[in-house]
Amino acid sequence: MKRVLLVLLACLVVAMSLAACGSGDSAAPSTSQGSAVSSGTADASNAQGLPGRFAETKKITVEVFDRAVDGGTKAEDNFYTNFIKEGMLRDYNVEVTFVPVPRWTETEQMNNLLAAGTAPDVCLTYSYPTVQTYANMGGIVDLAPLLESNKDKLTDLYSLLGEENINWNKDPDKGTIWAIESMLFQNKRINTFVREDWLKKLNMAEPTTLEEFETMLKAFKDNASTLLGANANKMIPFLLSVDIGWTADHLLTSFIPNSFTDSEKEYFANNFDDRHLLATGYKNGVKKLNEWYNAGLVWKDFPLYPAGDKNIDNQMKAGYVGAFIHNWDYPYRNGDDSIAANIKKLAGADAAYVAIETFKNDAGVYKKFLSAPIDRKIFFPSTNKETEASLLYLNWISKLDNRKFLQIGEEGVTHEVLPDGIIKSIATTGEKFMNSPYNIDYTMTINGLDLGDKDLTTKSVALGYAGVEPKYVQKAYELTSKDAFIEKHINVGPIKSEEGMGPALKEKRDNMLVQSVTAKPEKFDSIFDSGMKDYLASGGKAIIDERAAAYDKYHK
Amino acid sequence: MSENTQKLINYLKRYWTLYLLLVLPIAYFFIFRYIPMTYIQIAFKKYSIVKSVWEMPWADSNGFEYFIKAFSNADFLYALRNTISLNLLDLVIGFPAPIILALLLNELAFVKFKRLTQTVAYMPHFLSWIIISGIALQLFAPSTGLANIMLNSLGFETIPFLNDPKHWIATYILLGVWQSVGWNSIIYLAALTGINPELYEAASIDGAGRFKKMWHVTLPGLRSTIIVLLIMNLGRILGSEFDRPYALRNPLVDNVSNVISTFVYTNGIRGLQFSLTTAVGLFQSVVCVVFLIGANSLAKKFGERGIW
Repeated sequence: MKRVLLVLLACLVVAMSLAACGSGDSAAPSTSQGSAVSSGTADASNAQGLPGRFAETKKITVEVFDRAVDGGTKAEDNFYTNFIKEGMLRDYNVEVTFVPVPRWTETEQMNNLLAAGTAPDVCLTYSYPTVQTYANMGGIVDLAPLLESNKDKLTDLYSLLGEENINWNKDPDKGTIWAIESMLFQNKRINTFVREDWLKKLNMAEPTTLEEFETMLKAFKDNASTLLGANANKMIPFLLSVDIGWTADHLLTSFIPNSFTDSEKEYFANNFDDRHLLATGYKNGVKKLNEWYNAGLVWKDFPLYPAGDKNIDNQMKAGYVGAFIHNWDYPYRNGDDSIAANIKKLAGADAAYVAIETFKNDAGVYKKFLSAPIDRKIFFPSTNKETEASLLYLNWISKLDNRKFLQIGEEGVTHEVLPDGIIKSIATTGEKFMNSPYNIDYTMTINGLDLGDKDLTTKSVALGYAGVEPKYVQKAYELTSKDAFIEKHINVGPIKSEEGMGPALKEKRDNMLVQSVTAKPEKFDSIFDSGMKDYLASGGKAIIDERAAAYDKYHK
Repeated sequence: MSENTQKLINYLKRYWTLYLLLVLPIAYFFIFRYIPMTYIQIAFKKYSIVKSVWEMPWADSNGFEYFIKAFSNADFLYALRNTISLNLLDLVIGFPAPIILALLLNELAFVKFKRLTQTVAYMPHFLSWIIISGIALQLFAPSTGLANIMLNSLGFETIPFLNDPKHWIATYILLGVWQSVGWNSIIYLAALTGINPELYEAASIDGAGRFKKMWHVTLPGLRSTIIVLLIMNLGRILGSEFDRPYALRNPLVDNVSNVISTFVYTNGIRGLQFSLTTAVGLFQSVVCVVFLIGANSLAKKFGERGIW
């Protein structure tokens, strides 16, 4: 009996000591590894290092979005990560380890990592409120003094982002910078698309006004049996999703009077919602959609599918949809599985979506509301002990040669160079496959192709869509930012009343818009107005007031 | 050494292995159930991701800031109302359903047919709500749903199963019944096998028909099982599943489909308001415990055994 007890005790002791080691064991092998590397590179050092190269090897971890694409490589270990790792070791003597974070749950995952104190040294997210929340809790490094003292070593970072993007989030009172904004290089947003072949079949020209657009939708509906044959009852003249602010953007924003954007203060105070719900005149646009819905011009089932649901794309792919508004290159994305490729297979070789300009505002301008040229927000959690090495990483990844290689890859494998220097993407598989278009996940500081030459870049972008005729992409590229209004960046520091309200107000906005669009015509006004009242009472009004007050404080 | 101590030592010598076995489950409950409860404090404190829960500063209004915030939020009150009404409907319609199914299955004469029916009735239990909501869309969407296509071709009007609040509630409740009725009937079927067959024989001799036997023998035999399950269901009256309302909802029925769990998800978790989330969760749990204890003592008053 005693023996059994002893054995049990022994087991317990072993188990406990193992558990106790758990927290420390990660340190042991990595230190030995580190010394091995530093001794290995010591002799080859200094020869080609850049300013700021460390004498002794530093180690940093870097977040990378993992999109888990079919046929993709491991996000944290592949041809391109090796390119970065080798470069960083060579140029700065910094050893980089990538930490994969699932793209579509990045915010949730970042919560866990930060709470556990295991967040990577260099983090990124699309959500600034997340950064602000962590900063308020003391979980984030203030970049302002670091950037200041290392500025002379960060020339590439500064030349890509400019003072504007680096100081974008600088607190006007305290001067803190919790995150720098990466560059949205091609500021493209939304386009209106119509079926080019249907217009031809019905002998119609591309619509250039709202009235013509409406006539066109009606013509699609009335000629459903000509256009769709046996599937006539599946005709959807105009597609919509529950994210109405996005999928009707050009229509809705054309109802916003020009004067609204002229007043900097009014625009800023009402600009919390990125779909411009609070803008003057928005309601009239929604009313137009309501008219269309009740006239049977809008897809009847749209309220039931969450935004991004595959069923929505399937309607376009099957060729039932006459017109829609979406991301500027939406029908051309995804190569063989693009809407453009599918529609050719399912609805005939001449079937195609073409981008058009059709919604004028009160000044007769086809005005497009673009977002600010900012993209992901890069920050260092307070667990980062190698802030200088982390900054040098950002500098390295911003260097034109480095990011250009990451964006276009190897010649003959992922791209070919046409006679006039234009870069044409080629589909590839295997280890050099890019997990995201232009490797956006590895070029942390830039979103959008940049070859260092504007004209060349534009032409190359048009050839970046495998299987799509360049003329379509070029037109879409041109129209989406023609007569653009880019909001001026007004920095007033954090707005307290916005804290934590984003998701709830976004949901309210979508709900009230969907309910208004699907309302019976006589009930439209009451539903829209009560929805707006609720939106304002649930935090919207407080945000407008605080924004207006903050504007007065800093910009009068 | 006194006699009692000697007895205790003998007792422990004899039974210590049993106590050793007990250590594991106790440790489990202590580590995974009781230690996490110290984090209830978050409801009364300003949450910080970098501080330990003991170091976080107290919230305003004597620590009740987040409770006040929740109860002054119109959406929370709607969510509370919806949670209670949907759960009550679930109880009224969903609770008797498995009992009735068990009774019906019990009366089936063909064993093979009975088994087949049972298996088919269990199956939906293994489907996630995401899949069920996908099926529901395929069946009940206004223009592409199979049910409405059939109704239209027979000359009937389209029924807004999912896009009208009243119809949505009915769809929500009935889908719930469909999903769980088979599974929940298992426990009743098990209880049925425990009823002494002699009682049925005696009842037949006394001239009782099928319905009389069901009423006077089967149902009383199931009574204690029914009561225990009813108590446990009442304990969940304010609890809310997340995936079922979240998967089935859509913007048109938001004012009836937003329940506490979906409120917590959008406002608390996605809005990074963790203290608010914890406060709402704590409120939910406290109300559930009150209902559980209340229902249990009521059951005891009526001479039932209750659950403890």
